[in-house]
This record gives sequence, C-alpha cells and structure tokens, in this order.
Amino acid sequence: MSLASNIILPMLQIVVIAGLAPLVKGFINKIEARLQCRRGPSIFQLYYNLVKLLQKDAVVSETASWIFRATPYVTFVSILIITLLVPVLSSHVPVNFAGDVILIIYLFALGRFFLVLSSLDTGSAFGGMGGSREMMVSAMAEPAMMLSIFTVSLAAGSTNLGNITSTMLNTSIILLNPALFLAFAALAIVIIAETGRIPIDNPYTHLELTMIHEGMILEFSGRYFALIEWASCMKLLLLLTILVNTFLPWGVAPGLTFSGLILSFAVYLVKIGFFAILIVILEMSFAKIRLFRIPNLLGTAFVLSLLAIISHYMVS
Amino acid sequence: MGTSRQDYLDTLTSRFYGTVTITKSFLENEIYISTSKEKLIDICSYINSTFQASLSAMICNDERSLNKYFKIYYVFSLPEEDTFLIVNIPVSEQEPVFPSITPKIPAAHWYEREIKDMFGLEPVGHPDPYTLVLHGNFPDNTYPLRKDFDVQTRLPHLESKLPFKRVEGEGVFEIPVGPIHAGIIEPGHFRFSAVGDSILYLDAKLFYTHKGTEKIFETMPYTKALFLAERICGVCAASHATGYCQAIEKVAGVGIPPRAKFIRTILLELERLYNHIGDIGNICAGAAFHLGSAHGFRIREYLQLLNETITGNRYLRGMITIGGVRFDINNDLKKYIVTLLTDIKKDFKELTDIMFASSSLMDRLETTGRLPAETARGLGVVGVAARASGIGRDARVNHPYAAYREVDFDVPVFYNDGDVYARVRVRVDEVYQSIYIIEQCFDKMSEGSIKTSVKELPPYRQALSYVESPRGENIYWIMTAPDNRLFRYKVRSPSFCNWPAIPYTIPGNIVPDFPLINKSFELCYSCTDL
Repeated sequence: MSLASNIILPMLQIVVIAGLAPLVKGFINKIEARLQCRRGPSIFQLYYNLVKLLQKDAVVSETASWIFRATPYVTFVSILIITLLVPVLSSHVPVNFAGDVILIIYLFALGRFFLVLSSLDTGSAFGGMGGSREMMVSAMAEPAMMLSIFTVSLAAGSTNLGNITSTMLNTSIILLNPALFLAFAALAIVIIAETGRIPIDNPYTHLELTMIHEGMILEFSGRYFALIEWASCMKLLLLLTILVNTFLPWGVAPGLTFSGLILSFAVYLVKIGFFAILIVILEMSFAKIRLFRIPNLLGTAFVLSLLAIISHYMVS
Repeated sequence: MGTSRQDYLDTLTSRFYGTVTITKSFLENEIYISTSKEKLIDICSYINSTFQASLSAMICNDERSLNKYFKIYYVFSLPEEDTFLIVNIPVSEQEPVFPSITPKIPAAHWYEREIKDMFGLEPVGHPDPYTLVLHGNFPDNTYPLRKDFDVQTRLPHLESKLPFKRVEGEGVFEIPVGPIHAGIIEPGHFRFSAVGDSILYLDAKLFYTHKGTEKIFETMPYTKALFLAERICGVCAASHATGYCQAIEKVAGVGIPPRAKFIRTILLELERLYNHIGDIGNICAGAAFHLGSAHGFRIREYLQLLNETITGNRYLRGMITIGGVRFDINNDLKKYIVTLLTDIKKDFKELTDIMFASSSLMDRLETTGRLPAETARGLGVVGVAARASGIGRDARVNHPYAAYREVDFDVPVFYNDGDVYARVRVRVDEVYQSIYIIEQCFDKMSEGSIKTSVKELPPYRQALSYVESPRGENIYWIMTAPDNRLFRYKVRSPSFCNWPAIPYTIPGNIVPDFPLINKSFELCYSCTDL
C-alpha cells in the first residue's frame, strides 16, 4: 500500500494529467472544427507541436532578464506540483501532507505571477497589455474561485481535496444541495476565465490587440514555449478535474485497487469529455464579450459563490 | 438632364465671370473649368457648398513638356447629375506652391500631401503638411512622379523622420502596433495613445510599400498596362481592370458590345459578393464569433470556386479586357451560376440570422467604432462606410457605367448609426442586391459579340473612369501620350479616402475593439500605396 501510494500513484497522476492534457485540448479543437464544418487538425496535433517545439532553440529578447528564462520552468513546475495535490483517479492524494486547496490556488497564482512578470520583461507592448488584462481577470476570478471551493470545504469539513472527494463519495451530499449547486456554477465560470476560453478570451486569435493570455506569452519560443503551452493544457485539465472530482465524484476509486483505478479512469475520461464538449458548445454559441464586460461576468461568479456560502449556513 | 447641367455652368459663369474658362470635354459628363490659383479656393468651396458636390479626386499632372506647367485637377461630382466638374489650375516650376483647399474642404487633406510628396508642389495653408507617402526616408528634392525623375532611379534608403503625434498625461502610454502584423497582411503602423484599455488617440502611418505603380503606367504600352492595372490589388481585380478598360475605351472613343457590358456587371457583382461575404466572416473573427467566421469563409470559398469556373481565376483576373471581355458565359454556365447563387442566398440568410440573433455578437457590433455622418462627409468617405453613416453615394447610381443603367437595384443606406453593425448591415443588404443584379443581367442579356477592338489611342486625351468596387468608389483619370502610351494614369482608390476616417472612429473605444473596427472598414493597403 505504501509503495503504491507513495511511488505509483504520484507517477500515475503525472502521467494521466501531463499525458492527457494535450489530448483534451486537441479534442476540443477537433470538435470545434467539426462544428464549424471544418475538418480540423488531428486530435494529436498538440503532441506534435510539443515535440517539435521541445527540439527547438528559444529566441530570447535582449532586454529580458532571468525572470523570462525562469518563467517557463516556474509555471510548469507549479502546475506539476498541483497535479500531485489533486485527486484524479483515486480519492487518495499523493502528497496529502504537503498542502490543501489553498496551496493549489496559490500555486496557480505563482505561475501566473511569473507569466505576468515575464510579459513585462521583454519590453513588448503586447506583453504588458496581456499581462495587465490577465491581472484584471485573475483579481476578480480568484475570490470567486476561493469562495466556491470553501463552500465545498465547509460542506465536507475539510480543505483537503482528497478528503473532500471521499466525503462527497461517502455521504449523500449531492449537487441538488443549493450551496453546492451555486458553488459549482461559480467555479465553472471561473474555469472559463482562468483557462482563457471564449467568451472571456480567445485562444485561437492572431489579433494581438485582443489577446489576454496569448498576449502574455507572445515572446516565448522553442522549448520555453513548449513548457508554457503544456502547462496551460494541464491547467485546463486540472481545473476540470477539480470540478468533476469535487462536485461529481461518482466513479472515483476510494482505494488503490487495480480494477478500481481502471474503472475510475474510464469514468474520468467520460466526465472530462463531457465537460470538454460543454466548453466547445459554449465557445461556439458566444462571441467574445467586450473586455470591460468581463467584470460583470466574473462579478456574477463571485456573487454566486457568495450566495453558495450563505445558503450553506442557511440550509444546514 | 442636359438643361440642368447647363444651369450649373451658367450659375458658375455668372458668379465667377471672367475668372473661369469652361471647356466641355469630348465626354458629355466631364466639364473642365480652368481658373487661376487666386480664384481656386472660392470656386472650389462654391461648388462644394452651393452645388453640394463632393470632392471625388485630386490629380496632379506634370505637363511641363506640353505647356510649361504642372496642372492640378480637382474633380467634383455633382450629387443629382451624372456630371463631373473638373476645376484645374496651372502651377509653375518656379513657384511650386498652390493654395490648400483643406481648411474649406477637409477631404482634400491627403491628396494635397500626396501631391507635395510626389510632385514637390507645396500646399500653402495646409493644416498638417507632413509627408504622407514617402515617410521622409527618400532623399530631399526627389519627386517620383515628375517627368524628369527616371523610373530606373535607385534611391538610397534613409531613416524615416516622420514623427508620431503623442498624447501626454498621467497614465497615458503608447502602444505601437505593426508595421508587420500577425496575419498575412500588408504593413501599416498604428500608434495608440491609451489609458488602460481606453484609446485616447490613434495615429496611423501607412504607405510602407510605395511601388511606383503610377509611374510604371507611364512607361508601358496601353495594352500591357491592363495587366498592371488588374494587379493593383488582389481583391479588387475586376474593379481595377474595368476601371482601366473603361478609361482606354473612353479616350479611344470606342463603345463596347452590350453583352460585354452585362458580363462585366456580372463580374463586378461577383467580386462584391465574395468580398462582402468574406468581410462578414472576418468581422465575426474580429469579435471571436467562430461560427460566423467559419461559415462566412465557407460561403466565400463557394464564390471563389465559382469565379474560377467562370474566368479561370479565383480573383476574377484575366477576364476583362480592353474593348469587352475575353470569354462568354454560355447557357449551361448561366444556369449553374443562377442555381449556385440561389443556394448561397439561402445559406447566407441562415448565417446572418444566426449572427443577428446572437446577443453577445450584437453587443460587440453595436455602438462600436461610430463614424458620424458629418465626419464622413467632411473627409469624403466613400463606399460601404459612407452608406453606413447615412451618405447615399454609390457610383453605380450617381455615375452609371457598364450595364448599371439597365438594371434595377437599391442602395442600402443606414442613417443614424455609423457603427460596426451598420457597416455589417450595409454589406448584408448589398449581398442580396448583388445577386438580384446578376439575375437581372442574365435575363436582359442578349446574344451578340463580346469584344470590339481598340487600335490607336489619340494622344493627349483626358478622361475619367469610375467603378464602385466592394470597398467604394474607384476613380481613374487617364491622359494619353503619343505612340499608344499613357501620359498619366491616376488611381484613386476608396481605401485612400477611407483610411483617414478610421482614427476618428477610434477614440472612446477600447484597444481590443480596434481590430473589429478596422475589419468593418476592410481597407486595402495595396490600393492606397500605389
């Protein structure tokens, strides 16, 4: 058990998240293309991109400092650590002792902080613009994210995501609980904002003036860019994982049996696929909202999460 | 019609008795009014304000070899009449200055700066007399369109001295964009002064790829110059080719067969169709409405495939020729076109229904990038942008050419808005009108030849030619030289008129909306930067 939980489970989590993340994004791109009557790139295209980019040398601006070079590693490593803090296939979390959901939120913030710094570092006009917009979005998304996760923590009596998942599995707290339902809705909006999808940001655009996340990372190339792209794929998958395993934990293996993990993996794929399709439908139905309307949308998420906490106390 | 044209002239003669010489051209709708520098501003502002005639073009011509003077022609288009009043003044080499009419008629501002760059004639009293085309990286006293400038001259490249206008204040920062852009488009530099994401001021610097096109026209036999004319711009090939052919046919005094006129009309409308539908897709892309852009491009692709079926070229090149058109459209092809257009109409209707039902897209389009009618009129804005700002100008109606006199159609005008949405609506409505025009052309087209031959060009003849391209009114002015060559061929594209309007639509908007506004004008760099 200790071998399994100390060595195999961390490896498994990293392989699943890091390995599947490009596929999830490729899947989203493919479905999106099909809905636009295009053939679209292969769902494995992001792997090809990563392989290609990892073999390439990086071009770095002359004005850039060590921050620019460190950023890809900081971002990637912070995401890797989060991978070990999130229950993926089993409600056991590999590094249970290290930290809880607050650490996860701060690790996301750390990666973003370095990305914003590096966007200013090169002296490119688009970088600074993307960086300042990213900060505006995250300043509003983070409180909503915290409140909605705290709602679940209150309901489950723990801030450890593994404990939350197993509590949710074992008790009859389900999504019909108004507090959880509101928290779920708030977190869903936050995930759209955090991962830079339409209607907040447009990941496909070449128009620099409209970019948020893509504007920040414009100056990265080669292996640096590969790490950042990979990290952003993993971030999307991790946030979806948190969403499904916290609110809809059915199928997550309570222990570490082989058959349990296989079943859990299958259920996990279905759930992630379902939410990926939801993202596609959302992206196809909306234009990007005006930049100055983003606060309205994220304000909505914040209010929902606040209502979630209030209703938790009122209902229970 | 004849009487009222005469009325205008009588009014002018009596008002400016003794200071103007009115010459009727061999072309009925062109009237040349020669005057002196002293009277120029009075006459131009009189024509502009009393007759409500808009300044369609300003052409400078180096006629020193003929009469020792540079001549500047001011082309005014009468609003109700198919008539151009062409005021002209001589400017001598010894005194290379001319009075600027920009303070009275702002539409002249770019023309005068262009003349200063290309001919070295100074507009006196111009409020913003900076270099426009040459960016100050040409050596001093180099005037490419003067006849004594050899077309083979190789110039040293100097650092540009052109300053940008800046806004100063707390929290104001500059965002330089371009000249190289992310998409495969031509160069243009935009300098935003912004506080956060709100734009205070936009300065645009274009003309990065001056190609000397107008100069090259003067070195070519007229038959060969057609190919150059057709390649001025990729997406207006049919318009530029028609404009050139019409100019040659006019100076040669040749009428083209009616069937050729109808086929030209069909081609021009096909060009409008694929441009407008593609532009609507592009505007959706600017707002990140991917469903709209994907389907816009899909329908555009059908149209470009159709272009290839008809002419052998996706951009309609090579079909229009001097004296008519090269290929006929037979009955099978006609049936194919009509069926395809019917399908496209249905397809397009579905697309626009989805677009206009999407509240998130509408939120992006409405109130964005407003161009007030007054500004549009002052700057002489043309085409889709003008019609979206309540100015009902369309060369197809004001100065009919090809077969436009024989077909019936509406020109959509939107009066109160001038925003991105209005420009989209103008395009949408024009798509249906274009299909309607094509259907009528097929109905009314009679059998017959499709080409007459043009042989000799009489020397030193002048004529205007005009085409309503998808972007607006193209004006061409031609003057022939001996030996079947061109003395001068001036191209005034709609983009040249509309570019200066963009900075006026920007302040008050936010930086991420600029690409959307820019796309709603859909201006061409190549047409501007000859």
